[in-house]
Amino acid sequence: MRGPTTVEPVPGRTDELIINMGPQHPATHGVLKVVIGVEGERITRAVPHIGFLHRNHEKIEEARTYPQIITYTDRMDYVSGLQNELPFILAVEDLLGVEVPPRAKLIRTIFFELFRIASHLVWLGTGMLDLGAITPFLYTFRDREMILEITEKTAGARMLPNYFTFGGVRRDVHPDFFKDVAHFLDFFETRLPDYYALVLDSPVFQARAVGVGVLSRERAIARGASGPVIRASGVAYDVRKAEPYDAYPELEFEVPTRPEGDVFARFWVRFKEMEESVKIIRQALEKTPKTGPYKGKVPPRVKPKPGARYRAVEISRGHLGTYVVSDGSERPLRVKHRSPSFANLQLIPDLFVGARFADAIAILSSLDPVFGEVDR
Amino acid sequence: MSLFAEVWEAVKAVGAGLGAVNKRISEPAVTEFYPYKKPEIPPVSVQFLALIQNEDGTDRCVACLQCERVCPSQVITIERKRNPEGKGFVLERFDLDFANCMHCANCVEACPVSAIVTVGAFEHAVYDINLLKADKAMLDHIGHEAKTWYSPKFGVEIRTPDGRIEKAPPEMQPGGLAELLAEGEGGEAS
Ligand code: SF4
Ligand code: SF4
Repeated sequence: MRGPTTVEPVPGRTDELIINMGPQHPATHGVLKVVIGVEGERITRAVPHIGFLHRNHEKIEEARTYPQIITYTDRMDYVSGLQNELPFILAVEDLLGVEVPPRAKLIRTIFFELFRIASHLVWLGTGMLDLGAITPFLYTFRDREMILEITEKTAGARMLPNYFTFGGVRRDVHPDFFKDVAHFLDFFETRLPDYYALVLDSPVFQARAVGVGVLSRERAIARGASGPVIRASGVAYDVRKAEPYDAYPELEFEVPTRPEGDVFARFWVRFKEMEESVKIIRQALEKTPKTGPYKGKVPPRVKPKPGARYRAVEISRGHLGTYVVSDGSERPLRVKHRSPSFANLQLIPDLFVGARFADAIAILSSLDPVFGEVDR
Repeated sequence: MSLFAEVWEAVKAVGAGLGAVNKRISEPAVTEFYPYKKPEIPPVSVQFLALIQNEDGTDRCVACLQCERVCPSQVITIERKRNPEGKGFVLERFDLDFANCMHCANCVEACPVSAIVTVGAFEHAVYDINLLKADKAMLDHIGHEAKTWYSPKFGVEIRTPDGRIEKAPPEMQPGGLAELLAEGEGGEAS
């Protein structure tokens, strides 16, 4: 069934006001338009409009060779750019039958988790900006800058590095890499208590977040939510545990969950995830040899044998899957991305209706959508 | 909770927040004073691309079309002709549209002779988008201006003041070069 595509005024009903939120609203994290009906302070109807940032990723990728496509996957979720490359690469590696050296897997995992921290820091800063707190924004972006500098030193770019490749990574890490990452982790651990004091432990924030935008476990599963959103509703679903990839089977970490399903729970889960990421990176740093192979043997012309493969990874926002169909040529027949923000955004009508108008912003920032990936 | 208790809680929260801010007040500033003090960017950083010519002024490029083939946004256009003296090809035209370039460095990685490289210059904003459509003369010029550049095959190279091209000392090199020089594995175009 198709849902309503817009909100029409009901004849004779004068107490309902219909307003547009976005697409240029600063709190919509990009270009989202939500048509909202409000009755006093309560939201009665909400219809999201997406597609403003559509760039035709999947069709373009059909016309590109496999190594070229990696560059495009970066541009989906640009806040955690590097993480997007992995599902496509894993799928093609499976089709090619390429062995990835253990060291390359560990390097990939370290970068993967660094970008999770970077992405959650952006979310924390901008999310609190939406709620009216400016200080966390200034602090989180300063911490994220350190991750971007580490990435630039090794991979050559800050946000869209195009660094992973079939069989491993493109070039070996910078000689300072291990030192830099360890330094960042030490530094970040001294910063986390400040974020707790400024955000999570603050009664002012709790008054805005506790009991707001409650998502039930059943509804989260029915809507296909993933990532921190579903874990805050009490479902311990994490692709890193469910279908482990790269070096995750060797590393120990927990999947933080919380049963409440409100805005506070979603903030809490992301905070705990940052702590888990720090733990994962520390373990991976210890295991990674300083030198060694960083790329497996890959044929110079990437031509997977005919077949199809679906691989998923847990990016900062949830379950990102890529389905690759190969017909044995240099270009894939079809590439399909299943993106987490798109599924999480479908919760807007569920969560908005009945909430107060000011809480809509808090709910939206707790879903943490990135529109490059919603619209692709 | 009574109103007074709630107000007291809020005051305490603001106090705790100010405490967290206070801890950082004496930290050194991290602001970059950009136009006055230029940041140093790592050599592998993909900013501007350039064509490098040998010390005697001949092209390093052997017109193998690898870079044209791997470019995802297809902004490189090469025309070549057979070399009149000897074998191989020579360039007739080498255009690169920086306006549509994704700065992915696929071309730099694919080049077998390190002719197309990344250079450290990063200020290339212009008012007219057509100025970003570079031809061979412009790419050669950027290469001549560059003091250091990077390519995965040869690592960081520097141009000495008297015009010679030399390999940079090991402390300027990014990671992975030792293995590259030892074996050449992992350096092939992906
Ligand atoms: S950096 Fe990438 S997009 Fe730009 S010219 Fe090279 S291959 Fe093409
Ligand atoms: S890959 Fe290098 S040698 Fe080949 S055409 Fe491009 S610049 Fe010239």
